[in-house]
Amino acid sequence: MCIHQRIGTTKSQPDEDRRMNAVEVHELYKEFHLRKGGLFSRRTRSVAAVNRLSFAVSEGQAVAFIGPNGAGKSTTIKMLSGIIRPSAGEARVLGMVPWKERSQLVRHIGTVFGQKSQLWLHLPPQDTFDLLAQVYELAKFDYLRQRDLLVERFGLASFMDTPVRKLSLGQRMRAEIAASLLHRPRLVFLDEPTIGLDVVARQELRDLIREWNREEGLTVFLTSHDTGDIESVAERVIVINHGRVVLDGDVAAVRQEVSDSRVVEVKFDHPFEWTDLPGVRVLSSSTYVLRLEVDRNVTGVETFIQKLLSAGSVADVSIEAPPLEEIIAHLYNKKESDPFAPTLKRR
Amino acid sequence: MKACKKFAAIAAISARSNLAYVSEALGRTLFLAVILYIFLRLWQATFAEMGATRLGGLTLAEMLWYLTITEAIMLSAPRLAQQVDEDVRTGALAVKLTRPISYPLYCLSASLGERFVRFAVNLAVGAAITTLFVGPPPSNAVSLVAFAVTLPLAFVLDATGNILIGIGAFWLEDTSGLTLIYSRLTMILGGMLIPIDLFPAWLKALVAWLPFSGIVYGPAHLFVHVESGDFVLTIVKQAAGTAVLGLVVWLVYARALDRISAHGG
Repeated sequence: MCIHQRIGTTKSQPDEDRRMNAVEVHELYKEFHLRKGGLFSRRTRSVAAVNRLSFAVSEGQAVAFIGPNGAGKSTTIKMLSGIIRPSAGEARVLGMVPWKERSQLVRHIGTVFGQKSQLWLHLPPQDTFDLLAQVYELAKFDYLRQRDLLVERFGLASFMDTPVRKLSLGQRMRAEIAASLLHRPRLVFLDEPTIGLDVVARQELRDLIREWNREEGLTVFLTSHDTGDIESVAERVIVINHGRVVLDGDVAAVRQEVSDSRVVEVKFDHPFEWTDLPGVRVLSSSTYVLRLEVDRNVTGVETFIQKLLSAGSVADVSIEAPPLEEIIAHLYNKKESDPFAPTLKRR
Repeated sequence: MKACKKFAAIAAISARSNLAYVSEALGRTLFLAVILYIFLRLWQATFAEMGATRLGGLTLAEMLWYLTITEAIMLSAPRLAQQVDEDVRTGALAVKLTRPISYPLYCLSASLGERFVRFAVNLAVGAAITTLFVGPPPSNAVSLVAFAVTLPLAFVLDATGNILIGIGAFWLEDTSGLTLIYSRLTMILGGMLIPIDLFPAWLKALVAWLPFSGIVYGPAHLFVHVESGDFVLTIVKQAAGTAVLGLVVWLVYARALDRISAHGG
C-alpha cells in the first residue's frame, strides 16, 4: 500500500466531518538579517528561517512538529503565538492573525516551554495558579472548578502547597502543564515538554497530554526531539527542515513506513561487489560488512535475497525494523533528489 | 480596574516570593550597620569641626536618619535591569509575551513587590541601629505621610530607568556597564551619602534637571524635614521623570519587539 495515497485520504476529510482549522498557515516566510564583518566592513546576509511554509491543523488534532535544530520550529511557533511577525505569508490561529491580535489570541492559547518555567520557584504551585487566575481575569467559580479538575487529573494534590524548588522535575512539569490549561485554552503549544524527565515521568506526562487532547478536544501542537513523545501524543506529524515541510502525514503512516522497510546487515566471507537496486539504500559499507535499508514495497524479498547472494559469499545476515528515530534522522538528512522513499509525500 | 488587580497580584506574589529570602536579606543588612556606624563617626567629626549644629539644614540626628533612609532605598534595589537583560538574552521574554499582560508593566509590578519587602527589612534593621545611635526618628505625621507618598513613586521611577536599560540588551552586547553607571549616578547625584543641599551650586543646578534625586534624596529628605514646597517639587520631579522615561521605554520597547526573533533561538 502506498503511503501517499493513505495520506491523501486523511487529508481530504469528508465534508460532514470537516472541523474548523485551529491553525492555518499559508506560504509563511521569515528571514533574518545576519550581520557579518567588523566595524567598517559590515555586510548583511539574509537567511530564510522559515521558507514558504504551508499547513493546516484542524481543531482537536494533536500534531507533532519536528525537525532538527535550526529547522525553523521555534521561529514558526513564535510567529503562531504572535511573538514575532513574519516577513511574508499568512497565518491564522483560532481564526486570528497572531501578530496583529496577540493580546486577544493569548487568552485562548497555552504555552509550555520545557526549559523555561512559568512557576514561581520559591512558592508553591498553588500561588502561581492563583496569580494566573488574576492574569487571565478568570471568574472565581470557573477558576476553582478548572483548578480542582486539573489538580485531580494531573495528581497535583500532594504537592500543591510545596515550594516549586522542592518538587521533582516530573512533578514540576505536571504542574507546569496544568498551569497552562487553567484558562481553558483551545490550543496549546508544547515545546519539548518531556525534556530531562525519566522514563516513567515522561510516559505519565504523555498520557496526560493525550488524555486532555482526546477528552477535552484540546488542539496540541507539540515539538520534541523524542520520538516517544511523537508516537504517544500525536496523531499527525509534520517534519520540517530548512524552513520547509519535508513530510506531513499521520503518525500511523510513518510507522507503516517503518514496518515496510527493514535494515539488513550482511557479513561476507570475502570482499563483495554490490550494485544499486531500486528501493535499497546503502546505510554503510566496509570491506566485509554491508548495511542496507530495504523497502519491501519497491523490491520484493526474493529479488533482494537473490541479489544479495550474487554479491558474494554470505557469512551472516541480521534483519531488523528500523526505529522511528532512524526514519526521522533519514528524513532530516534527505535531499530533494533522494530516490529513496518515493512513497513519502513531499512538498 | 481589572488591570490594577492583575498588577497588584503580581506585586503581591513577588513580595511573597521574596519573603522566602528574608534571612538572606537580614544578612545583607550587616553591611548597613557598618555603613551607619562609619557615617555616624564621620558626621560627628564634621559637625564638631565646623562647630555647626545644622549642616544643609539638618541636625546630626536628622543627618543620620536621612542616611538610614537613603541606604535602605539603595540597598533595596532589585536586580531589575539584569533580569530584563536576562529575559531578552535567554528568550524567557517570549514565554512572558504569551500571557495577556504587558511585559514592562509585569516587570514594574514584580520589582515593586520585591523592593517593598527588601526595603522593609532594611528599614527595620537600619531604624533599630540609628535609634540606638541618635535616638528616635525626627519625623512627624506630616513628614511620614509625605514619605509614604513619595517612596512608591521613587521606586516606580527607578524601575522605569532599569527597565529601559534592560531592554537595551536587544541592541547591546552587554548592559552591565550601563547598569553600573546608572546605579552609581543614582547614588552620587541622588544624594545617597551627602544631601543635595550640601552640593556646590553648579552641581545642584545640574541635579535639579536629572531624575536621580527623585529616587533617593526626595523621599529621604521629606522623612526628616518636611516642607510643602519640597513635597510638591519631589512629586513633580518623580511624575515627570517617570513620564519621560516611561515614554522612552514605550518607544524603545515597540522597536525592540521587532527584533525579538534575533534572540533566544
